[in-house]
Formats: sequence, structure tokens, C-alpha cells
Amino acid sequence: MNKIRVAIIGTGNIGTDLCARMLNDSKFDVVAFVGRRPDSPGLEMFRGKVPYLLSNGIEDLVLIADEFDGFFDATSAFDHRLHWTELETLGKWAIDLTPSQVGAPMVPELIGTMPEFSLNKNQAANYSMVTCGGQSSAPLIYAMSTHSKGITEVEISSSIASKSAGPATRKNIDQYVQSTENLVSLISGCDSVKAILVLNPAEPPVMMRTTVQMKVDSCDLEATRNEVQQVSARIQKYVPGYNLVVEPHFSIPNVVTGTVKVTGAGYVLPEYAGNLDIINAAAVETARRHSEKFAKFESSKK
Amino acid sequence: MTEIYDVTLRDGNHALRHQLKSEFVTEYCKVADNSGVWAVEVGHGNGLGASSYLVGKSFESDFNLLTAARSALTKSKLAVHTIPGFATIKRDLIPAIECGVDVFRVATHVTEASTAEKHIEFLANKGVIVHGVLMMSHMNTIKGLISQAELMQRYGASGIILMDSSGHFVPKDVQERVDALKNALPVEVGFHAHNNLGVAVSNALEAQLAGASIIDGASMGLGAGAGNAQLENIIAVSNREDVALDVGNLDTFLEMSLLVENSYSSNLPRTSSSSTQSGMAGVFSGYAPQVKLLAEELGIEVGLLWGEMAKRKLVAGQESMIREIAQDLMNL
Repeated sequence: MNKIRVAIIGTGNIGTDLCARMLNDSKFDVVAFVGRRPDSPGLEMFRGKVPYLLSNGIEDLVLIADEFDGFFDATSAFDHRLHWTELETLGKWAIDLTPSQVGAPMVPELIGTMPEFSLNKNQAANYSMVTCGGQSSAPLIYAMSTHSKGITEVEISSSIASKSAGPATRKNIDQYVQSTENLVSLISGCDSVKAILVLNPAEPPVMMRTTVQMKVDSCDLEATRNEVQQVSARIQKYVPGYNLVVEPHFSIPNVVTGTVKVTGAGYVLPEYAGNLDIINAAAVETARRHSEKFAKFESSKK
Repeated sequence: MTEIYDVTLRDGNHALRHQLKSEFVTEYCKVADNSGVWAVEVGHGNGLGASSYLVGKSFESDFNLLTAARSALTKSKLAVHTIPGFATIKRDLIPAIECGVDVFRVATHVTEASTAEKHIEFLANKGVIVHGVLMMSHMNTIKGLISQAELMQRYGASGIILMDSSGHFVPKDVQERVDALKNALPVEVGFHAHNNLGVAVSNALEAQLAGASIIDGASMGLGAGAGNAQLENIIAVSNREDVALDVGNLDTFLEMSLLVENSYSSNLPRTSSSSTQSGMAGVFSGYAPQVKLLAEELGIEVGLLWGEMAKRKLVAGQESMIREIAQDLMNL
């Protein structure tokens, strides 16, 4: 298979980490890195390493449309909606790392496990990576829901290091909550869901933790634990720092509870930014899966 | 002029494990409405939209509690506590406005004011009274405290409330912080005490003397951990100290206190060895029930658990960490 040629929009923490991550990955070719200011330190970091460092937003990206297969958007929900309006007609796949909810939510390790998470053969596929809380809780929710009967409520709470929550997350904390809740609902099939986000400023910074609590009539705990171990093992292939720290147990009668901890891989972002690591890792994994599945189709087209 | 802010029906809900009933809200508010309190805060212990397995499920919905209070309050204002990350504008703030809430206190951990930007802006534009709350205020420097308060003011908060959520402060700490805030910003300053070290009323009084114009208290001290500053005592001591309080007479506050004492005799907070340990360690008072349960379940010394929680610098809303920390202690 040819290398997957990508563009990355957004030169903040997420974008720079994505760029470093894929420059390190032989399957990818980072063609363009797109910011909005010529003096962006994110762009500067990759001078000489990425052929097109564009500082004029997506305007210039459109001009080199033939040179990339798909793009990652690490800007903001507001900007992603604008970008998608402009870029959809180019027929490229998009991986959205903002909580815009433009595209269908995607949790790559649940592809082939749940029909809700299928690769889209549409050339202009738009995959939403939802949120860090969503990505980290998905395996637990999946395992618990699979082995429980009568799910009436699902709740997830994440605590992350303050330093890892950028201005966009802080400003749009409601969007975080809402899009996480939508994903929780999708995986569990339960309408009564709640997502909570807590920022902890401790030094040294804390590692991300996500706890899932599910109200059920009954749950096969042993089967749930096995299932979580299996899904976790799959995720660990691309998020090595993903660990179950509190096994599923009944915290109170009829409430199954489990906690995962996510330590970052430390490309550009520090280890404590497991929340950003997991969403970036999932984004790259989704791009890989999509490209592999449709590689034949794309190369015959060329 | 000092305004008295009654948190009995909100912080007190921690002591009731969030099982507050709307009948009691109505009964209490009818008396409180004649006491001269500026506002009565009502809801789940962690505020709007916080009913959850993480911090505890409410017996009644926010809507029921607020509606019950609204019908009984004619002179005092109806207030709520709300934390971004638990509550959202759409799901919680808009319905609360529709319930007729007058005062919104948007609260964040003392270093995380920027998470409140959208919520404060939204409320300020709706014409309700919006105050910013800095929780766990002992976990920042005075300089840091001021810059966080300044952010909240910039977003549109007309008052800043310092919460001593762990009951860690002594009067001198309160005096320094209130004084610094008053000098730095042209906003109302409020203070919310907890009684872990037995000095909540003294701290509340010290805040008044330093220029705080909003003083929090709860009847019988009903609140998280060792409880809040006991409201009737704040009134009594203020009278004796000739601090000018524009509130009704002590008798009405005593009536509110008796109502709480008689209705929830088994839930009344008190300082205990555990609450003293958590106050010294500077850990959120609201964790007391979980710490007690887990220490018993796993056979760990309560003080050891508080100490480790302090070492890991837990903020409010991290209940799910307590089991992991307890497990780690057992594996040492």
C-alpha cells in the first residue's frame, strides 16, 4: 500500500502531537501542516520536515488538494464546521478531533464489534473522535453493556490534568459533556446518561482517569472483566498507556463501576496528557483503518 | 452592609447524603423568608445537575427542590450553586432560570476559573445575579486567588465567594485573603467557612471584619464534613461584636435552627477526629462519607487515607479516586 498522504489543520497541542506522531509512522506521509499565523510556533517546529507549512488557513490547502488523501482537523468545533463546508466537496476523508459532532462518532477498537462503528466507504467520510472521556470510557462501557441486563443509567466521569486542558476545552466544556454523552448513549443503548469532567491542577500533573458507572438489573462481572481485558489489550497496541486500574465491581448494589487510567505516549505532549494522547492515537488508527480498507479502491481510481 | 447567605438546603444536602425532600424545603423557606437572609441556596450538595453515582444521587430533582423553594420565598432570594463540568447551560442553567432562580453561584476549583467563562457570561446576559465561587481556596496563593477572581469578574460576575471547602483556614488566613481581594477588585466579596478545625464562626466573623459583604452559614451548621459556620451563631456573635448586620432578629434564626435540629437529628455534622484530620490535610470535606465507608471496608486507618488523598492533591469531584488510593495504600 502507498503511504497515506495527510494534511493536519491546527497547530496547537493536538495538531503538533499528531504531526510528530505521523512523521514517526512509516505508513504516513505528512504533506501539509496548516495554521493561521506565519509566526505560529507549531509550524516552526516542523520546518524542513513537512513539505507544505501553510499559514493562511485552509485557503491554501485547497490549492494542493491533489497531494493529500485526507485531513485531520484539530482546531475547534466552530472552525471544523466551517472547514467541512469548504472541504467536503474535495472528496477527502476527514478525522475531526473537535467536539463538533459533524461526522459520525468513531471508536476504532469497536470497528467490527458494533455496527454503529463502521468504516464509511464514502470518499468524503467524516469521522468524529468525540472526546477523550468518550474514547477512554468506550471499552468499559462496551464490556459492561455486553454482559449486563436491564441498563437504566450510565455515567462517566473523567479527571484530567489542568495543564492538559487548553483554552478551547475550557471554553466549550458544555460541548465536551454533550458529545461525550451522545457517544455513551450510542454504545450502551441507554438514553439516561451523564458525563462529568473534573480538572485537577496538582503538580506534578495527574494522569487521566475515567470511571464508568452503570445501573443494571444484573451483570456478569467475570465476563465483563475478561471482555475489558481483551478490549484493553487491543487498545494498548496503539495507546500503550491505557490501563484498567479499578476492575469492574459493584460499588453499590446494581451499580457496576470500573476505572481506567491513561498515560500519554509522550510524542510532543507530556505523559500526563493521556487525554490528548488517546484521542490522537484513535485518530491515527481510524485513518489507518479507513485507508487500508479502501486502499484498493483509491489506487484503482488513480 | 453584610448580607447573610443561607446554604443549609444546599451544602446541608451533603450531610443528608443528598436526600433533601421538597416538603422540608418549603417548610424551611417559609421561616427563612422572615429571617432577613439575603438568599437561600437550594439543591444537591455539589450544585445543579450534580446528582450522580460519582458524588451521590439526589432524592429529588433540582426542579422539584427549586420549585418548592420558589413558592415559599417572597423576600429572600432563591440561589443555586453550579459547577461547569457537572452542569451545562442547556440542561441545567436554562431550566433553573425558568424556575425563577435569582442568584447563580458559578463555582470552580480555585485555579480553574476559565472553565466558568461561558456559564458566567451566559447568566450575566440573562439579567440574573451572578457570583463566581473559588472552591478549595486554600490551594492557591493569594496572588493566584486574585488573578482567578479577576477572570470571573471579567466574565461578568458581580461578586466573588471564597470557599474554605476543606475547613483548613484559621482567622488570619481569612483576613489576609478577604483583605487582598477587597483591595484588588471592585467586587463584592463573600466567604464560606467549614468547621473542621472548630473555627468556622470565627472565620466568618473575621471575613466580615475584613470587609466581606456576603457571609455564608447553615442552620445547625448543616453541611459537608464537619459542617459550615453555624448560622444562628454567626448572627449571635455578630450582635455581641457590634458588627452591623442588616438582618432580622436572632429568634427567627433560632427557629430555623430548631427546625433542622428536630428534622435531621441523626445527620447533624460535628467536628470529629476524622474531620480534624481532613481539615489539617486540606482535603475536600464532602469526601467524608466515602472515606469512612472505604476505610471500614478495607480496614485502613482514616487518617492515613486522608493523608494520601492530600498528597495526591485531590480536588472536589474525584470521589472515584478514593478507592484506587485506598487500594494503593493496601499494596504498599
